[in-house]
Order: sequence, then C-alpha cells, then structure tokens
Amino acid sequence: MAYITGASMINIDRHYDKSIRRLASDAVFKLDSSSVENVDYVIVASSISYLQEPQLDLASYIASALGLRNARAFNVEAGEVSGATAVLMAKSLVDSRLASKVLVVGVDKLSNYPSAVTYKHISLLNDSESESLYSIGLGGIAGILMRLYMETYKVDRLTLAYWPALMHSNAKLNPYAMLRFTITPEKVLDAMPIADPITLLDTFPIGDGAAALVVESKPRDALAEIVAVESAVGYPSITLSPDPLRIDSLELAYSRLTEKLDLKRIDVIELHDSYTISAILQLESLRLAERGKAAEAVANGYFTVNGDGPVVNPSGGLKARGHPIGATSVYQVAEVASQIAGIFPGLKVPDAKSGLVVSVNGFGSNSYVVYLRGVE
Amino acid sequence: MLSKSPPVVWRSRIYRYRLIGCKCKNCGRVHYPPASACPYCSSRDLEEVELPRVGKVLSYSIVYAVDSDARERSPVILGLIDLGVTRIIAEITDANPEDIKIGSQLEAVFRRIGEDGETGVIIYGLKFRPVI
Repeated sequence: MAYITGASMINIDRHYDKSIRRLASDAVFKLDSSSVENVDYVIVASSISYLQEPQLDLASYIASALGLRNARAFNVEAGEVSGATAVLMAKSLVDSRLASKVLVVGVDKLSNYPSAVTYKHISLLNDSESESLYSIGLGGIAGILMRLYMETYKVDRLTLAYWPALMHSNAKLNPYAMLRFTITPEKVLDAMPIADPITLLDTFPIGDGAAALVVESKPRDALAEIVAVESAVGYPSITLSPDPLRIDSLELAYSRLTEKLDLKRIDVIELHDSYTISAILQLESLRLAERGKAAEAVANGYFTVNGDGPVVNPSGGLKARGHPIGATSVYQVAEVASQIAGIFPGLKVPDAKSGLVVSVNGFGSNSYVVYLRGVE
Repeated sequence: MLSKSPPVVWRSRIYRYRLIGCKCKNCGRVHYPPASACPYCSSRDLEEVELPRVGKVLSYSIVYAVDSDARERSPVILGLIDLGVTRIIAEITDANPEDIKIGSQLEAVFRRIGEDGETGVIIYGLKFRPVI
C-alpha cells in the first residue's frame, strides 16, 4: 500500500528569476521539514526543461540542491504524462518494499525562450516522424479535432466555450493557479484565433511550475491512499486512430482500472484539458457523458459542485491553473489528494472521499489514470 | 545554432517525397509513415506501398500560433486528409482559408517545407493543394 503523506505546490507563472533547481526547492521546502527526512528515493518528473534549461541526470542535482545527499535519485521523462509516470514509480518502489519513503518532484520550465520557440519545444510531444514535419504544434491537431467534433455531432462553438469559462471560474479561488480571472463563454469566441476554430482562451498559458509529493508505505497522517495507477499506449497519431474522436489509450487505461477496482464513486476528477476539445473527448472516454454530449453537460453545470456529476477540475485545470508540462500531473495528484484530505486551498469539493487524475500525452499516444481514496 | 540534423532530414526523404507508406500483409491495413510493425495487428510482415496522391478533407485548422520555423508562412492551413487507404495530416497550400471546406478534393504537390536559418539544411516534401 502506498500513501501520500505530503503534498505541496508553488504558483504557476513565468518565473524568469528562478532556475529549475530553485523551482524544485521552493515546492519541496513548503513541505514540513520532517516529512523529507530519511527519503529513500527522489524521482524528478520533468520534460520541456531538458530543452530549455538542459541538465542531464537532473534528479541527482536536484536531490543535492535539496540537501538530500543520502537519497537515491532518478528522472522520469514521458512528455505530458511524466508526473503520473513518476507517481507510478513511487508507488511501485513502496509496494515492492525497495523504499519506505519516496519524494516525487514535478518541475518544469517553459519561459526561458520566447513563446514561438516554446511552441516548437511543445510540438515535440507529437510524433516527430509525422506531425512535427510541418512545424505545426499541438494547437493545429486540436483545431482539426475540434472542427471534426463540431461537424460530426453538430455542436456549436459557443457551447464548447463553457469549458474554459468554468475553468477560469474555478481557478479564481486557487492560489497556485496562473490565470485567476473569470471570463464569459462569449469572450472565448472573441479571443485571438490560434488554430481556428480554437482561440487563445481554449488553451493553457505558458508557465513554469513545481509540485512535490511524499509517498510512504505507512498511512500515518496520510492525505490519501494511491489505490491504483493504470496506463496504456495509443496510436502515435490521430491519422491512424480508427476514430480520431475517441482516445483509445484513455479508454484502455480506464478499463484496466475499472477491471481491478469497483469504482462505486468518484467525487473529484482532475483531467488533462490542454485544449477545450481535449477535456470534452476525455469526459466522453471516461463515459461521464454520451458521445457528442459532453460540451452540453459542461454548459449545464453537470461537473460543478452543484451538479449531479463528479466535480471536474476544481483547480481550474490546465486551462487556467496552468500546464508546466512534465510537472502537471504531479499538481493534479497533489490537488486531488488535498481535496480528499479537505485541505485544498481553492474551490473545495465537499466530503470528497475518492478522486481520479487523468493525464494524456498529446492526443492519446499515452494515457494515465491515478485513483486516490481517503484513509479510514 | 542548427536545429535540424542533416542525416535525419536525409534519411526520411523517400517517404516525404513520394508518400511511401506500409501495407500489412497480415491484416491488409495501410499506415503512414512506415513503422517497423503494423500499428493495428503488430505483424512485422509489411510491404512498402505508394499512397494515392489525391484525397479529400476530413477536417482542417487554420493555424496562427505556428512555431518559430513557420512564422513567415502564418497562418498555415493544416488538413486531416483521407487518402482512402489511410489518412495523413499535411499542410494545405495554394489556397485561401475560405477555399477549403470539409470534403474538398486535394492533390499532393512537391514543395519546400522548411529551412534551418540562412545556412542550414532545406527540407522538401509534399503539401496538398486543391485539385486543379
């Protein structure tokens, strides 16, 4: 059994004054100092930083910078699912008794270069042998998917704008979120187009961030138990997927989870809304809405605290909390664990006892689900 | 600093110039670009095939937020194109955004698709244009 006994985050922003190591120490030093004593392993999840602030064997340097000279350390790089992969590694080390305490640090740097260069780095999350050929980033693929969704299911653009409006509303209360202001759905349509039909307000802001988790074998003072982590690889490109509007890898990862566990209830979900269309397709892949109906459910408030569904992205999501690529799913796990413990400092999900984190690389080359539950 | 490796650009030239994909001898499905095993049935028994050079638009996006390599071409029209045997994502050229509709017929055309600054490698490959 693996338990999260500590979780911390820093605010996501363009931290021009902070190095990758400083971001990591800012997050870790927010934990009680006793909680990082006797750490057996430090696992560092990072992705874009290898292009923006190159440091190989980053984890050992971060462990030293944190003063954890007696620890063992290694990196995990898996694009946008780096953080969830690191959580899987931490759980595996604890479950196998190779470690009794593991520190997971998700940290990433996106602001060292102008946006056009950062977009190029982010485009490497795509298949470098096909999509990346035309210097088109994730946004172009998201734009293709959104138009296909609108045409296939006859959903209008305004209905799809309720997602970012909800995310901004949720993020306003989250002290670690990058964009803490509200927007209307109409404003999403009026924003600068980035990959028509997608506008600037359909996607995440460029920011740096760091979050940390302490994973232990003992449940004492735990925020939540990591019950299971599942994942699946998918098609490398939407061109190969039999139906590009289905995220095959997420459907497979989630079915692997539900085969193992009886998920009677999920109170809170943090999913991977890199674009509005990503959120919509993920909600449908998790069968929280019928195909073609997720946008309408979002617009009707189904996924809010007052709605009938699980509360989705009370943090504000990638859209408004922010998306420091390799660190993001560490934020998501920290947020869900904090919700279950009743200590999340933003929008609270009343009486949350269980939660799910969904992490996806690109549009489904790899998907992770992490299921957390409260400790009795 | 050169960001594109000449050997990388050189060794991928054939499938960029000629739309060479792979057909699986086990399940019969076609994929592009060529992989070492079939993405559908995992068979390694594959043969290279030339894909059709005409197709139709399944969806498209007009991309303004292009990365630094494509800035002078912005906005770029990017299409998801149905070639019948498989699909491809490619840049659509010789067209204004208002000319492109879902279902538009396109044909492959050989074009310069990128360069690495003033002194780096120049990359050629295929784009698609409306059928003339």
